Amino acid sequence: MSNPTEIADAPVIVIKKRRRRPFGFYIAGTWVAFVVLVAIFGHWWPTPKWDDSFYDSLGVGPFHRSHILGTTQDGYDMFSGLINGTRISIFVSFFSVLVGGSIGSAIGITSAYFRGRVDKVIVFAFNVLLSIPNLVLSLALLSVLAYSDENNPASTPRRVMVLLMSLTIVIIPILGRIARGSTLQWSSREFVLASKSMGTKNFTIIGRHILPNVAPALLAIGFLAIGSIIIVEGSLAILGIGIPGGASWGSMLANGRGNLEFSPWEVYMPALAIAFTVISCNWFGDYVRRALDKRESKI
Amino acid sequence: MSVLLKLEDLSVSFATPRGALKAVNHVNLELLKGESLGVVGESGSGKTVLSRATMGLLPGTATRTGTITYNGQDVTALPKDEVRKLWGTGMAMIFQDPMTALNPVRRIGSQLTESLTVRLGMDKKVAREKAIQLLKRVRIPEPELMLRKFPYQLSGGMRQRIMIAIAISCGPEMLFADEPTTALDVTVQAQVLELLSELREEYNMGMILVTHDLGVVAGHTDKIAVMYAGDVVEYAPTRALFKNMKMPYTEALFKSIPRLETPTGTRLPVIEGRLPDPTKNEPGCPFANRCPYVQDKCRAQAPPLVDAGDNHFYRCWFPIGGGQ
Repeated sequence: MSNPTEIADAPVIVIKKRRRRPFGFYIAGTWVAFVVLVAIFGHWWPTPKWDDSFYDSLGVGPFHRSHILGTTQDGYDMFSGLINGTRISIFVSFFSVLVGGSIGSAIGITSAYFRGRVDKVIVFAFNVLLSIPNLVLSLALLSVLAYSDENNPASTPRRVMVLLMSLTIVIIPILGRIARGSTLQWSSREFVLASKSMGTKNFTIIGRHILPNVAPALLAIGFLAIGSIIIVEGSLAILGIGIPGGASWGSMLANGRGNLEFSPWEVYMPALAIAFTVISCNWFGDYVRRALDKRESKI
Repeated sequence: MSVLLKLEDLSVSFATPRGALKAVNHVNLELLKGESLGVVGESGSGKTVLSRATMGLLPGTATRTGTITYNGQDVTALPKDEVRKLWGTGMAMIFQDPMTALNPVRRIGSQLTESLTVRLGMDKKVAREKAIQLLKRVRIPEPELMLRKFPYQLSGGMRQRIMIAIAISCGPEMLFADEPTTALDVTVQAQVLELLSELREEYNMGMILVTHDLGVVAGHTDKIAVMYAGDVVEYAPTRALFKNMKMPYTEALFKSIPRLETPTGTRLPVIEGRLPDPTKNEPGCPFANRCPYVQDKCRAQAPPLVDAGDNHFYRCWFPIGGGQ
């Protein structure tokens, strides 16, 4: 028999509580962070000019001594093109999700909080917009708002503006509906009733009680939306109505499409960039949702 | 003792697509200062609507008639911001489900001090001290630590204690407890009820305890009102009710309490049938279709509220043990 003092002197095993995040979280997070950093600071990366043609090395493969990822058949440097494309693709997707998401959730939250006839109209409008596939909707908006043919081509800035606008419109109902559904659920809770009973102003209640509870869902869906917007942007470029001149990932893909048999890296490189980014955004969004869900664990 | 709350001829109906739904019919109740009243009935009998109507927390589709006198003041006639002043400082409510009543993203401290700073105009430090006292009062260990916690870190019983602390924070004279223990397990139920009774005595609060469990109200109330289909069918001091119940519905409720002495495997007696459709206006006693002692007169004509003396009222043509 061990005496009590021995037991007391026995080393206390401290179980370190460390929340283990899955490995994929770090990979996805790192990639997203890397891409965003490149989008912001890639401008200063010492690479060959992306829009200059190198006539001495047309269509050289990757690992060339001065063109690390090779060049296109027209002599454009792939690496610089990708860096530059990051800026456009990431800017377009983040901007439209941020702006569209803010507008959408503002509409969704207020309409769900106040209900009434306006809410019904908004739900109807969301459903109409959601019933049109993303690609078709932005295609329609683009071809109407930035119409161009050979005689009067739309200028690039105008195209970018219209692209941003149509992608924003695509995002509004997606996040709006999530915000609305989530708000409906939270605004029927007792702490909202209690706050109302104290005479708190409606918008204070929304800011203090509703928004913090709705935000995790919005954040998660927002990341998923960034992924899908990158794809939509790429698809539009391939269809020939995105941003022209190989300025974005999708646009590079579209330009390289014809040279698949001579220089397949022209297609592989931007395609891989898109794939990695989209997958990372989806994973990251999923982890964000799971991490924030723990707030209200059941007993 | 003076009368704290008096409901006279209180009726509530809801506008539904199928017509008016009568949730509460002509209820008369009276509560003295520091007294506790149990409102008992099965689901859908109107007990929650009754307490919400008294608080003035009904949704927009409801219409309320009759008068509610609180401290000699007719509450139904008061403008909205006057009623608002009454909430919390006069009447407070403990909600049914502590799991969902608290905001999951805000700390206990801020939820507890919110009403103190808003309603009583305390400054943050004073409110914090008061919050710690309140938490001690509802027997929460280490109240300073608790203020920093989020609701998900607490158990159901703890959360219900927090809810009680919030409800009593502004020193109300009247407490509505709407099934405060349904979401809790049995041992915690007893503790919470014990705590409520203690607080009631300490602060001399009136309390309305809404429940479907006669066992819950037995030890913790002075009077009991049994509700069925929106009517108060029996109303008596607790002791008198248990000793001498008149209405067959009360008896049926009483019989459906599980008992220790019955052999294992015995089926629990249930009340056969369902509540009458509250949108229809059928003649006769609403309990007639389920009553074991039903007679022809019951189906033809609704019984009036009979005064049996000693504050015992019932609504039945053929009461158990005969009239009076």
